[in-house]
Amino acid sequence: MAHILDDYAVLSPLRYKNNWLKIAIVTFGLLAGVSSNSPLVPFLIAICMSFATLYFAKVPASFYFRILAAPAGFVIVSVVIIAFFFGEGAKLFSFDVFGLTLGVSKAGLDMALLVFARTLGGMSCLFFLSLTTPMIELFSVLKATKLPDSFLEIAMMMYRYIFVFLDVAVGVKYAQSVRLGYKDFKTSFRSMVMLGTNLFIRSWEQGEKIYVSMNARCYDGKLILLDDKRPVEMPELMLTLAYFALVVLTFYFTRTVSVL
Amino acid sequence: MVILETKHLSFSYPDGTLALDNISVVIEKGKKIAFVGRNGSGKSTLFLSMNGTHRPKKGEILFHGKPMKYDSKSLREIRKNIGIVFQNSDDQIFAPTIYQDVAFGPTNLGYSKDKVEDIVNKTLEYVGLTHLKDKPPHHLSGGQKKRVAIAGIVAMDPEVIILDEPLANLDPVGADEVMDLLNELNYFGKTIIISTHDVNLAYGWADYVFLMNEHKVISEGTPEAIFMHDDNLKAAYLRRPVTLEIYEEIKRRGLVKPQCCPRDIPDLVHSLRSQQLLWAKVPSEVKEGDYINLGILYGDYAPESGYEAANCKVLHVHEDGLAIVEMDRKPYRAGSIGIYDTEYYSKDELLDIIDRDEIECIGAMGKRSKILAEGDEIYLHITAGVVDRSILNSLAGQRCLILTNGGMVGHALERIKDYMQKSGINIPVTVVNPNQES
Repeated sequence: MAHILDDYAVLSPLRYKNNWLKIAIVTFGLLAGVSSNSPLVPFLIAICMSFATLYFAKVPASFYFRILAAPAGFVIVSVVIIAFFFGEGAKLFSFDVFGLTLGVSKAGLDMALLVFARTLGGMSCLFFLSLTTPMIELFSVLKATKLPDSFLEIAMMMYRYIFVFLDVAVGVKYAQSVRLGYKDFKTSFRSMVMLGTNLFIRSWEQGEKIYVSMNARCYDGKLILLDDKRPVEMPELMLTLAYFALVVLTFYFTRTVSVL
Repeated sequence: MVILETKHLSFSYPDGTLALDNISVVIEKGKKIAFVGRNGSGKSTLFLSMNGTHRPKKGEILFHGKPMKYDSKSLREIRKNIGIVFQNSDDQIFAPTIYQDVAFGPTNLGYSKDKVEDIVNKTLEYVGLTHLKDKPPHHLSGGQKKRVAIAGIVAMDPEVIILDEPLANLDPVGADEVMDLLNELNYFGKTIIISTHDVNLAYGWADYVFLMNEHKVISEGTPEAIFMHDDNLKAAYLRRPVTLEIYEEIKRRGLVKPQCCPRDIPDLVHSLRSQQLLWAKVPSEVKEGDYINLGILYGDYAPESGYEAANCKVLHVHEDGLAIVEMDRKPYRAGSIGIYDTEYYSKDELLDIIDRDEIECIGAMGKRSKILAEGDEIYLHITAGVVDRSILNSLAGQRCLILTNGGMVGHALERIKDYMQKSGINIPVTVVNPNQES
C-alpha cells in the first residue's frame, strides 16, 4: 500500500512535539494569511511552513510538492480567470479575441496574486499539521475540547477500521481487475457497485465481531485516551515566537503596500 | 484440579443450524489443551460459549465447579478470568494505537490510571513490543498483531487463555514467537487452550487433546493416545503428525526400538536402534548379553565430537572366539548445555563464558533475549525450537548455550532433565550465571 498522509504523520520526527503548539502555529498562519491585504504575508507563511515541513519534519520534497501540486494547479486556473475578469480601470495589457477585448487590470492582478498567495499559505499550513500530527494525536486534542466521549470513541474506531477496509477494498479491486472487471466502462461500473456492496456487508459483519470481541474484554463504555505530557521546549518556543514576530512585522509594514 | 468443565453442552444458532452437540469436556488447571478438528467442526463456537458469549440451549458450563451465570456481573467475572484471542487479529484490535488497545481491558476492569499504565508497560515489554506502543495497528506485521492481541488479553491477567487458531496466517518465525510466548505463559501457571487443524502442532505441543468433528467431541486423551490411532484421525478427517509418520515408516523397516512414541525430533533420534553389527574377537569368558568395550575409535558416528567410545553388546557367541556384537557407540566427549539468564546480562561476561566454555552453538529463547543478542551482535545459531535443537546438537557433541530469562530458565532446565530421564542419556547442563543473591 502506498504511503498516505497519515503514515508520514505517524512516522514524523515532529509527532511527539506538543500538539497545542503545532495547532497554535497553524491557526496563527491561517488567520494571518486570510486577514492580510498584501500577498507578501501569506507568501512568507507558505515559505516558512514549507521549510518547516521539509526540513524539520523530514517529508521527502518530491512527495510534498506532489501533494501541493493538486491544489496549486487548481488555484492557478482560478487565478488566471480572476486576473482577467476582476477589477476595473486601466488595463496593464489586453488583446482581442473575436472582437472581444480581454485585459488584465492592476486591481485584477493584485486580487489574483492575493488569492494565489492565500491559498498557498493556507495549504502549506494545513499540510504542516497533517504531515506532523497523526489522527491518533488529534484525538487527545479533541478530548480536551470536551467533545462527548461516545463521539470520540466512534471516531477512534472509524479511524482504525478505515485502514482495515482500505486493505480489503484494495484486495477486492485487485481481484476484480485480474479477472477483467474493469475492462470497459460498463463492467467497471458493475464492479464498483459490487465492491461497494461487499464493503458494506463486511463492515456490518465487522461491527458484530468487534462487539463480541469488546465484550470479551469486559467493555463497559470506556476507551482510554492518550494524554501524554509533552512540555514545549525552549528552542521550539523561541523559534515559534521568532516566526510569529516576523509575520506580524511583515503584516504591519505591508498593510498599505501593494506589490504593483 | 479442574478449572473449566462443560456438561452436555448443546448450542444452535438463531437460524437453527446446530453448532455444538452434547459436548462434555473437562479441562485441568495449568495444562496445555488443544482442540483439533477440521474447519467448521465447532471449535470457535465452543470457545465463544466458554467465555459466556453464546448461551447454551442445553447443558451447562462450570468454572471452578460453579455453573456459569449470565447476568452482567457474573459475565464480567468470567470474562476477566477466561480471556479469548480471536483468529483474526483485526477483529480484536480496534483502538488507534497499540498502547490504547492493550490498555482497553485493564481500563474496563476499573483500575486506576497509574495501575493501567504500569500493567500495559509491563505487558508490552513481556511480549517484546514496547518500541511499537505508539504505532497504529495497520503499521504492524501479522505476527506483531497477534502478539498485541495476546497482550491485550494477558493484561487482564486471566486464569485461562483461549486462542482460536493462534498460528493462522503467520510465517514460521512469527509462529515460533507466538508459541514461545504461550509456553512461557503456561509455565507461569496459565491454562492455555488452543484450537487448530495443524496436527503437528497439537501433537508436539499439547498435554491433552480433544478431537472434534461435526459439532461433537469424538475422542480425547494424551497426544500419544489420540494420534497413534488412525481410526480417531480418520473420523476427524485429519492426518497423522509427520513425526509419527516417519517413526512408523522406519519402525516397519526395523530401524527403531518398538513401544515408544516420539513427540519431537530428540525423541525420534533416541528411538533409533543402533544398526552396526560386526564380527569381533572376544575373550572366552564373554557371554551373550554382556557389554564389552572395544576401545576408542575416531569415527563417523558423531563426527563433530572428535572421538567416541565404542561399547558393544554381545548378541551371539560363535565358535573360535568370534561373536556378533552390536555397536553402541556414544560420543566420548558429550556436548553440554549451558543456560544463561539474560536477566543479569552483561556483554563482557557473556563473551567470556562463550570463550571459556568453547561454546559452539548459541540459541535464544524469548523475545527479550533475542533482542538483547541482536542488539549486541551476538550471532544466534538457533532461534526456534531452541531447547530441542540444543539437545540434538549436544548429543552430537556440541557445546550449546541457551540465552533466556526469568521463568524460562527453569522451564528449559526441566525440559532437558525430562529428556535425560526419558532417554537415560546424561547431558551436562548448568546455569552458567546463577543469580548471585539467592
